[in-house]
Amino acid sequence: MTTKIHFVTPLLMMLFAFNLNAVTKNQITCTGSTTVLPIAQATAEAFMNSHPDINISIRGGGSGVGVAALQNGTTDICNSSRPLKSKEISAAKAKGINPVAYTIANDAISIIVHQGNPLKDISIQQIKDIYTGKIKNWKVLGGPNLPIVVISRDVSSGTYEVFNEKVLAGAKVEGSAQLLASNNAVLSAVSNTPGAIGYVGLGYVNESVKLISVNKIIPSETTVKNGSYMLSRKLYMYTNGKAKGEVANYLGFIQSERGQQIVQEQGFINIR
Amino acid sequence: MKQWKLMLNLICIGLLCIPIGLSSLETKLSGEFWGRWISEIAKRKDSDGNYENKLVSNYFSLERGYLGLETKFSEQVKGRFTVDIFTTDKTHEYREYSLADSTLSYSTKSGSIDGAGLKIKYAYVDFGGLIPVKDMTLTAGMQKVYFGSIYDWSYTLIGKAPSDEHKVVSSSDLGITLNGYLPSGFGEYQLGIYNGEGYKKVGANLKENTDFAYLGNLRVTPITGFTIGGSYMINTVERDKKLDGEIINSSYEEQKLTDIYTRLAYGPVDLTGEYIIKDVDFPDVKDINKTQTYTATGISIFPCLNLKAFLPYNLQLVGCYDIWDESDRVETDKARNKVTASTIGVNYNFMPDETDNPSMQLQLNYTAKKYDEDKSYSDYADGKKDSSQINLQLKWKFANTL
Repeated sequence: MTTKIHFVTPLLMMLFAFNLNAVTKNQITCTGSTTVLPIAQATAEAFMNSHPDINISIRGGGSGVGVAALQNGTTDICNSSRPLKSKEISAAKAKGINPVAYTIANDAISIIVHQGNPLKDISIQQIKDIYTGKIKNWKVLGGPNLPIVVISRDVSSGTYEVFNEKVLAGAKVEGSAQLLASNNAVLSAVSNTPGAIGYVGLGYVNESVKLISVNKIIPSETTVKNGSYMLSRKLYMYTNGKAKGEVANYLGFIQSERGQQIVQEQGFINIR
Repeated sequence: MKQWKLMLNLICIGLLCIPIGLSSLETKLSGEFWGRWISEIAKRKDSDGNYENKLVSNYFSLERGYLGLETKFSEQVKGRFTVDIFTTDKTHEYREYSLADSTLSYSTKSGSIDGAGLKIKYAYVDFGGLIPVKDMTLTAGMQKVYFGSIYDWSYTLIGKAPSDEHKVVSSSDLGITLNGYLPSGFGEYQLGIYNGEGYKKVGANLKENTDFAYLGNLRVTPITGFTIGGSYMINTVERDKKLDGEIINSSYEEQKLTDIYTRLAYGPVDLTGEYIIKDVDFPDVKDINKTQTYTATGISIFPCLNLKAFLPYNLQLVGCYDIWDESDRVETDKARNKVTASTIGVNYNFMPDETDNPSMQLQLNYTAKKYDEDKSYSDYADGKKDSSQINLQLKWKFANTL
């Protein structure tokens, strides 16, 4: 009996220390989606201003990287621009990680072209035809006689996965497409390439590129919230189990009125 | 019977040919290498016939050198090719045939290998969306065998998964599988048809067998951190009748393999348990000697404690207690009876990648093995091949998108 107590007691103490560590630490790490990155950075900055004892470190890498970090227990928050897949949830749960989703913003995958492109609207089918290589010149769509330069995201990107599901329906992107690692890289490539087309999160769209409507609908708060803009989606932060301590406070802050105001300031759409 | 087997083969070949018409969306190059030092002491006979502890192994080796290419043809179709380059396995076996009294017979010989050995570990294509079931993938080619823990064994311990260590199943084999996930992350399942002899045998060593192996595997995680599952496989060794005159083959054996798996993961503690049953029958043995049939069982427990949360270093304490009992087997020349292995070890993980996953791991394991009487090892004390072994291993891995 004494032997059992000697064995069990330190084990219980270590488990207790583990939970205590999770609750009381003042270092929060966020890893994952580059789409969620500006929201995470801006809200973290505001949160740290009002909580000077808390340090929030944020890393990108893509939603896939964030999910892997959550599964490995190496991040407190996984930023993801897509819902987790059954395979990912299953692997996480087997490791004792219970992914819990917090919706932090609404977003629209925004189709962008070079500022000099006269095109104003495009259909889902036309986007698919461009990305699968069936349409190769803007003149087919009533534009200039200019080869189309296809810019896409790398496959670890959640934005790519949502784009693939909603536009490509599983079809492969044409071989000559440039696969870039971040929203900023896509924005920069499209703004500097006259024949380019790309897609980014709504918060990344600025005057350096031209935003075009999809099936005659421009992404806006109304069209995203009522679902009429076909490429709308939600952005998430995932934690291991229900968030506790300062992680819960930070997520609560993002979902608060002030947090959602920051979401809008970053160009995304609030969840309220 | 033969017709549907032929159909299955044709389907398999057809599925393997589909990717030829596709071009790649993304290709990933990955590698994993294990450099190991092994030192083993065992009690053996000296020249006077007395037993004493002797150093029986002491060497460096490249135990594994996985080099893999993974390519996405589309979001739904993915191919993987992995070769294993190594310096140690005595796999260069061949059959030497002889003709006497109009009877052709053979013996299996081992030959030395210059340089390194090479095996194809994986060569398969995943087809997602081919079957209209959510999250279901059809996989064709040389792939994982979804039995027990062998298919997701992460080598936290230097040793192999129990079903691999005790040669119950091979970790990879040629075949077709259906892989799916239960909703809401509640688990996974697999159904498969394989050749049944694994990836190691080639050429003359390929078994004479026209039967496939059939596998079913289910794992359920009803609550986070607690997983329970089971695998069942039917396999055969050799063919029941030799082609030449339909001669009955006494080496033909039927195997029914069962594995019960459970895992408990909470915070820094990860505990895996496995129970294996291997039923072997020799239906072609004419004298119906029931003692030919045997059942082997195994119990394994693997605790792991992650100390990263408590220490400035990413350390893991690992252990294993494993019993493999073949005492029901009466073929004296092959009997291994019962072996109990206890292992303790420590892992140091370093060089984290972008997801904080370590790219390098230094592992130190100490293993003590105790055998019951084992006549096949007469050089060892009382036929007991008891030993103690130290393994030190440096693993390193990488993955880059081309």
